[in-house]
Amino acid sequence: MSDKKEPKSIERRRFIRGGMQMALAVSLGGVAGFSLLKSTSKELVWQLDPFKCVQCGRCATECVMTPSAVKCVHAYDLCGYCDLCGGYLKPDSNARSTAAENQLCPTAAIKRKYIEEPYFEYVIEENLCIGCAKCVAGCTSFGNGSLHLQVRHDRCENCNDCAIARVCPADAFQRVPVDNPYLIKGGFTKGGTSKDQLKKG
Amino acid sequence: MEKKFKYILWGIGAVMLILFFWWLMKDPTSQFAESKPGEDNRGSDTARLGPPVVIGENFQLFGTATSVYKGTWTRFRGADYDNIVKNSLPLTNSWSGNDPEIKWSVELGEGHAGPAIYEGKVYLMDYDEAKREDALRCFSLEDGKELWRRSYKVSLKRNHGMSRTVPAVTADYVLTVGPRCHVMCVKRETGDFLWGLDLVQQYQTEVPLWFTGQCPMIDHNKAILAPGGKSLLIAVDCATGKVLWETPNPANLKMSHSSIMPWTFKGKKMYVYSAVGGVVGISAEGADEGKILWQSTAWNHSVVAPAPVCFPDGKVFLTAGYGAGSMMIKVIPSGAEYKVEILQQYLPKDGMACEQQTPVIWDGMMFGIQPKDAGPLRNQLICVNPADVTKVIWTSGKEGRFGLGPYLIADQKMFLLSDDGTLTMIKPDSKNYVQMAQKKLFDGHDAWGPMALADGYLLLRDSKNLYCVNVSQ
Repeated sequence: MSDKKEPKSIERRRFIRGGMQMALAVSLGGVAGFSLLKSTSKELVWQLDPFKCVQCGRCATECVMTPSAVKCVHAYDLCGYCDLCGGYLKPDSNARSTAAENQLCPTAAIKRKYIEEPYFEYVIEENLCIGCAKCVAGCTSFGNGSLHLQVRHDRCENCNDCAIARVCPADAFQRVPVDNPYLIKGGFTKGGTSKDQLKKG
Repeated sequence: MEKKFKYILWGIGAVMLILFFWWLMKDPTSQFAESKPGEDNRGSDTARLGPPVVIGENFQLFGTATSVYKGTWTRFRGADYDNIVKNSLPLTNSWSGNDPEIKWSVELGEGHAGPAIYEGKVYLMDYDEAKREDALRCFSLEDGKELWRRSYKVSLKRNHGMSRTVPAVTADYVLTVGPRCHVMCVKRETGDFLWGLDLVQQYQTEVPLWFTGQCPMIDHNKAILAPGGKSLLIAVDCATGKVLWETPNPANLKMSHSSIMPWTFKGKKMYVYSAVGGVVGISAEGADEGKILWQSTAWNHSVVAPAPVCFPDGKVFLTAGYGAGSMMIKVIPSGAEYKVEILQQYLPKDGMACEQQTPVIWDGMMFGIQPKDAGPLRNQLICVNPADVTKVIWTSGKEGRFGLGPYLIADQKMFLLSDDGTLTMIKPDSKNYVQMAQKKLFDGHDAWGPMALADGYLLLRDSKNLYCVNVSQ
């Protein structure tokens, strides 16, 4: 009898050990597979093509976020660093100064800094920007178009049914891969589209 | 119980009252920051304090050339200031294959200065970035070889190009204005220096944004210039450099990129200048030569590049970019004086407007390219009747967008150059847009400099090159 009992006990232990090993292997494989799948997934986020944008102002009013997740960004490699900046100054402004009455931005989100004669640098303060595109329209009409709009993904909720995309008259909104989420002018015009370029801006 | 309830009510009332006063006293804008002038720490223009400029100090002779060509394009907008070539050679009606052929090209300093042509010689005011010199360069129209160069040191920084004026040329003289308002007069054939004038030093001229765009005028051997500082207009004897008259500037009008246009109205010859701050008509002859006949400060814009377009009936069309739009005024004789009446004033989207180039009049109609802020008509060539410049007769359409480039008319054809170097030939028609030919001639960038045409050769430029294109039959 005892000869018969011993093999049964070994089989149970082996069975439990083998089962545990199998479960662990399946778990690890599953986690690894899932991670691999996630890292190579085609997850998409919203972005707007600055070359299609017509500066209608709806990015400011239609976004579910307040203020809008769409912000003005600046392609410094395109900028002319003009004293008379069409994106900063109201058309035909009385003076080329930082006075409120001369500024085009309704929230004073663009900071103007003198570099040296005759160059000025323009920096966007994102917390103040509401994405109204007034500066973009001015820069596009009278300058090099270096000021342009982008959906900022640190703010965007990435709604499935993007409220701005629904009403964009230029069809400028499109889904782009999450690992390449910006369509930035400047470098973009030369083929580059990376977060690094946005950071540079 | 009733008393207790009363106390509670009084308590609530008192709290409400305190809250109300708190709300009333609170300034909801306390977190706002004021935007005041000077926050950009704008500095002074240190280039003005650089070494004194010795106008015309250098001369280089590279060669000589005789020419069979007799055609001329003597100044900005040509001999008659209308941008129309008179007595042109027959020009080809269509282009195919290699037509129109680029005969030669030369490299230039970055800018938008246009050429003038006189009997086989091309004169162009350039800026040599390597040597940091303003340079009047004389080329052979035949092959583009540089014949001579008269230059002087002047410090400039790139600011959307540097050179941007067209010389005025006569049989005897070449008159130039450099980016920093240095005027130079030389002998046309030899380049011998005659005289120079620093308008900033002599007249406290404020150099316009992106440097000087005013093209000089020679009228009966008098250099007519608009310093816009201490004197609004001046006349200088081309032979001697002697200042003949100076127009006072009581309204403190400033130099613009616009150029002075001559106008004869009801027998009176005058100079019309669209300055920064106003438009003015100044007597060009007689005992009152140099005196202001009329002016209006209703036309007041910070950047003015197109020249005024004057009509025989007293109307003057004024236009400017950067959101300014246009204005049609009428000058009305009133006894010995003149009155100015505003007929039309509107934004760029509401009628004919131009940012850099000046509209051209042909067959009683006005043609011009709309600026980028003209709404749906942006960058399109449009045709209007001067009787109502807000009523568009035709446009070049969505597919016919140009840019800030120049245009001129010759041999019943209108040539338009797009920013990228595409040349378009149309029939200037008062009823329809009729495109005859189009070709991308070169990979251009900011091809904005005025054109010149003589002896069947059309001179075009982009920001860095001058091209001679054969458009003759």
